[in-house]
Amino acid sequence: MQKPITHQRRPGTWIWQALSGVGLLILLTLHMLANHFIREGGLQTYQDVVAYLSNPLIMVLEVAFLAVVTYHALLGVRAIFTDLGLSDRTMTTINRVLTVLGVVMVAWGVFLTLYIVRLGA
Amino acid sequence: MTRMPMQHEPLWRRALRAWFDPRGHDLGLIAFALNRLSGIGLTAYLLLHLVVLTTFIRGESAWQGFVTLAKSPLFVAMDAVLILGMIIHGLNGIRVTLIGLGFGARHQKTMFALVMAVGLVVFLVAMYVIVFVK
Repeated sequence: MQKPITHQRRPGTWIWQALSGVGLLILLTLHMLANHFIREGGLQTYQDVVAYLSNPLIMVLEVAFLAVVTYHALLGVRAIFTDLGLSDRTMTTINRVLTVLGVVMVAWGVFLTLYIVRLGA
Repeated sequence: MTRMPMQHEPLWRRALRAWFDPRGHDLGLIAFALNRLSGIGLTAYLLLHLVVLTTFIRGESAWQGFVTLAKSPLFVAMDAVLILGMIIHGLNGIRVTLIGLGFGARHQKTMFALVMAVGLVVFLVAMYVIVFVK
């Protein structure tokens, strides 16, 4: 039987995937608890969301969660491409595209957060 | 079309078969495929989540419209799939990390079964909270 093509990524990358993953276990739990259980019945109205994000601690939690989850997700997408055995040139392009995508995603989330916080100010 | 011999099969097809064709594969590979599939799903959800939350910019009534939609049975069913994906990916991730660090490789099948059992309990509790606790 042919050996499955599964772990040909650069050695050392998986540790970042694992570390960010462990971080996500904590951040995702906090994200879910904070969104659904701090206010009884969870965030529902427009005003609920504005008040929620206006708490500096919550803002830090949400932005940190977005940054780590984006990094972890795109590193995972990269691993899938790595396993396809593409050429170095193609991989360089994919790395660049994923980096730009990641920066845009986090920037978008930060913009949304600041926009919502300004509504409450 | 004639079927090409195995060694001439393109690498991408070989890779896809290695991930997703369960025939002749052991539990470890099924766990790997489950992790990949849930990871792809969660990444798609992350993008969707960012796009949907942008509704907030369109004002209060647009936001209320989205909240009402999110409470519909179809959306709650999709939430259930999302929660299942998070649980499978997160708990299996713990198992993969432990093995990667050199712990418990000999017991990885038992660990997979354990992870799935714990995951099922967590999923049932989450569904109970969603459906019955208001």
